[in-house]
Amino acid sequence: MGTVFHRLPSVRALRFLALAVCALGAGAWLDAGGQPASDIAVVAHPDVPVDNLTLPELRRLLLGDREFWSSGVRVTLLIRAPIARERDAAVQSVCQMTEAQFRQHWIGKVFRADVPSGPKIVYSTEMALDQVSRLPGAITFVPIAQVTKNVKVLKIDGRSPGQAGYKLR
Amino acid sequence: MAHDQPPPQAAEQPEYPSLRIAGFGDVNFAISKYVEGPRGFSQGQFALHMTSALSPRVTFFGEISFSARTDAGTDTPPAAGFNAEVERMILRFDKNDKLKVSFGRYHTPINWWNTAYHHGQWLQTTIGRPEMIQFGGRFLPVHFVGALMEGGVPAGGWNVNYKAGVGNGRASVISRAGDAGDVNGNRAWLLNGFSKPDKPFGLEFGGSFYRDLVTVSASGDFDETIVGGYVIWHKEDPEIIAEFANVRHQDDPGAKPGTWSHAYYIQGAYRLPWQNRLWKPYVRFEHVGVNPQDVVFASVPNLDQTLLGLRYDASQFAAIKGEFRTWTRGEASQRNYGGFFQISFTF
Repeated sequence: MGTVFHRLPSVRALRFLALAVCALGAGAWLDAGGQPASDIAVVAHPDVPVDNLTLPELRRLLLGDREFWSSGVRVTLLIRAPIARERDAAVQSVCQMTEAQFRQHWIGKVFRADVPSGPKIVYSTEMALDQVSRLPGAITFVPIAQVTKNVKVLKIDGRSPGQAGYKLR
Repeated sequence: MAHDQPPPQAAEQPEYPSLRIAGFGDVNFAISKYVEGPRGFSQGQFALHMTSALSPRVTFFGEISFSARTDAGTDTPPAAGFNAEVERMILRFDKNDKLKVSFGRYHTPINWWNTAYHHGQWLQTTIGRPEMIQFGGRFLPVHFVGALMEGGVPAGGWNVNYKAGVGNGRASVISRAGDAGDVNGNRAWLLNGFSKPDKPFGLEFGGSFYRDLVTVSASGDFDETIVGGYVIWHKEDPEIIAEFANVRHQDDPGAKPGTWSHAYYIQGAYRLPWQNRLWKPYVRFEHVGVNPQDVVFASVPNLDQTLLGLRYDASQFAAIKGEFRTWTRGEASQRNYGGFFQISFTF
């Protein structure tokens, strides 16, 4: 029996175990770059001439009120189909709209002849990243954990995904 | 083209031309104490809208409507059942956000409602347009044939936009635009400016100025000046739209004093938070006051109207609306009232 008691973990060992579990949990939560996996990154074609957008600027892009980058290249907005978390973040957090309002806004926008077409739909993160890396002027929303190297991650209000106060998640 | 996704095309490399078609339609029912306008069921406008990017910077927009005729089948040869009309046909060249130049037939951008909803009844909260900008109405010129320059700048978060245009103005039938040429040697011109500030998001306000020489067949030429303004709160909880327009007519030699006529409306609506936000009650007050000395507007009726309505969004692309309206057409007129219903949709 005494031998058995000697084999029970000590308090120090339990603390170590708890820390290890927390670290593993955090590892699952953080991606390799140390950023919270729940943040939604705003990514653009590498040639897009901005590194930072304010939230109102991002909203104007999302609502089609701004159609061109300062370089003169037309903005191509790529957005996930409804239900995707990235779309919800864009529509609800940035545009402050419901999905129905967002749809009606874009139907009206095209109907008013303000813009030639609405946002282009992408059906997966991989498709979004592929398209945004190939289409000049393209911009889209993807989970930060899945961002690849051939796109530009834009700061929003001066904050990168993962930083405190970042607004898209 | 369906609106299942906005727009319903998967991302791909752009191809030119890229024609897309959308449509709007509505069916109406009306009953009123004294007959004014259609009775019972009526077919609303069937509108087709086309856009086609011809290159990254050149775009075509078109809108065609089909409207039921009250004289269908009469006369020899028999009148057709519907009138087809080119409502808008615009070719636009985009330099950047600050400068876009276009040519064609527009909805005159001196009234917010006229350029926000066009012929898409589904887009607007209410069943009908305000009387001041009614299709076929005469108070404001609904259509404009000519050229338009437009653009916008951030202006420190004020997002200031402008439109400047020159065109034919009204035809000799003043509810019509000069589609086949100007009725006189003076072109109409307009200026429009508006702001959509970043904060508070949802606010929009602006104003416009319009000048034309109107030629009325029986009465000669009149200088026309239109000054308008609006304030909008775009969010639906609440939605507020308020517009006014003043129209001045002066006979061309200037022998008589000019006349001012005015119109305004204010509309409020609220998207109820329950039941998936499908219900939206609304109210609108509107007024049209025509100067009795105004020769150009001699047959334009006055109006004081209140309407109460309820919109139900049966799907994301179809709405059912019901309204009660009560109105008078000037001091000596009898008060009229009625119930109006509409199913409107986009496809």
